[in-house]
Amino acid sequence: MSEPRQVNRAYQSQLRRNWWLKHGYYQRYMLREATVLPLLFFCGCLLTGLYSLQHSEQSWLNWLAFMATPWVIGLNLLTFFASLFHAKTFFELFPRVLPILPAPLMIAGQWLGTLSVALLLALLLGGVL
Amino acid sequence: MQKTLVIQRYNPEQDHKPHPQHFTVPCDDSTSVLDALLYIQQQLDPTLAFRWSCRMAICGSCGVMVNGIPKLGCKTFLRDYKDDITVEALAHFATEKDLISDMSVFLTHLQAVKPYLINHDTRPQPHQQTPKQLAKYAKFSNCINCGLCYSACPQFGLNPAFLGPAALTLAQRYNLDSRDQGKAQRMPQLNGKNGVWGCTFVGFCSDVCPKQLDPAAAVNQGKVASAADFVIGIFKP
Amino acid sequence: MTQPTRSDEPIWWALFSAGGVCFAVLIPGLILTLAIAYPLGLLPENALDYAQIRQWLFSDYWGLAGLVLVGAGLCLPLFHAMHRVHHGMHDLMLRAGGWGKVLCYGSASLLSVLALYFWYLGLSAS
Repeated sequence: MSEPRQVNRAYQSQLRRNWWLKHGYYQRYMLREATVLPLLFFCGCLLTGLYSLQHSEQSWLNWLAFMATPWVIGLNLLTFFASLFHAKTFFELFPRVLPILPAPLMIAGQWLGTLSVALLLALLLGGVL
Repeated sequence: MQKTLVIQRYNPEQDHKPHPQHFTVPCDDSTSVLDALLYIQQQLDPTLAFRWSCRMAICGSCGVMVNGIPKLGCKTFLRDYKDDITVEALAHFATEKDLISDMSVFLTHLQAVKPYLINHDTRPQPHQQTPKQLAKYAKFSNCINCGLCYSACPQFGLNPAFLGPAALTLAQRYNLDSRDQGKAQRMPQLNGKNGVWGCTFVGFCSDVCPKQLDPAAAVNQGKVASAADFVIGIFKP
Repeated sequence: MTQPTRSDEPIWWALFSAGGVCFAVLIPGLILTLAIAYPLGLLPENALDYAQIRQWLFSDYWGLAGLVLVGAGLCLPLFHAMHRVHHGMHDLMLRAGGWGKVLCYGSASLLSVLALYFWYLGLSAS
């Protein structure tokens, strides 16, 4: 008599660590999540700047010199684009989570906010205000 | 016109993992993936196993991965693919045979959120609802339980205990219904780490939903509701 | 079916969301002026004058502008960032368990307190 045939159970595939590389949609998601990495660098810059400002004039000048180093400018340029990409995704998600007004209106309003803040800061530091 | 389908075959009595098998099928502009699968089963290989019923995107049973993206076989057409088309069983679910997935986890998660009207009013007259009240939940009410959103959701793939897009969308759908009184019963499920908080708004679920329900929006509106419930819970223990 | 325990995510999610707004609305302008335009000489030489900035952040209106900058430019974006790092670790299958959470939100809290402390030092010196 033959042995009863061994029947396997259902096949369960396991997600691998690189699952997010498999599809453009997931890559974009991971890119969105990764925008916080350059943000952390800029937060570090701000924190050291705040420390320098309360410490002494010399350390403030040192911080300004540090901020003008080419690699720091480069990294902050990356942070700038990361913040814009984050803003785009965040602004588009917001009206879906809290649908108060028509989505295009809410998205435009948020961009207007970002633009106003940048303009206000530029005018303030530019000595116009 | 002819096209080649590469189908991931899996026979639980023989195989340890799925393996690809090539089939060439005749097709024209109106041939769907489901039509092609039926052709294969009827003309080339009667052992091919897959689920189907209505052929018109309402029964939700023919969900498969087409070139790695969850699709309804009946709503996906061969004309939209240039090269060979890979067809696999839905991702993140266990595969029972060929293209047949074990959907029991999904059904358990659906059950957990009580996706039905809960109303203690036993009077015989109908529960009336204004168009405005209907509009609040209408866009979340067309779910056909096909499970495509679970195959699109990496959080469900990473943690099968996560209630997932469809269940959380249905919870939100009934919570928003003016005739429903079951929100208090559903919130504990939503408030847990495997409820709305298991979601990171990847958003792919809304992309693949064949009924354009926007489950990602529903789940994240659920986060707002759960956060409000959290604050209320602090003051009313 | 057993009732799941209530998650503490609403706290972190609220901080994350508020930080996300700051990251999207305030941070681009801050980077553009402080980290790009000024270092590249596109703003006047005295735009970031020591005494002037100190006055703005630590003196005028009881240092309110400084507090807003610390809160919206540092604390909330830090919680935003560390929330995404926390979930990112789960996405990358780095199972750090409870320690990952302590590390993420702990570091965000610590750096936030530090930022507030620096502001307070500036405030009391001015």
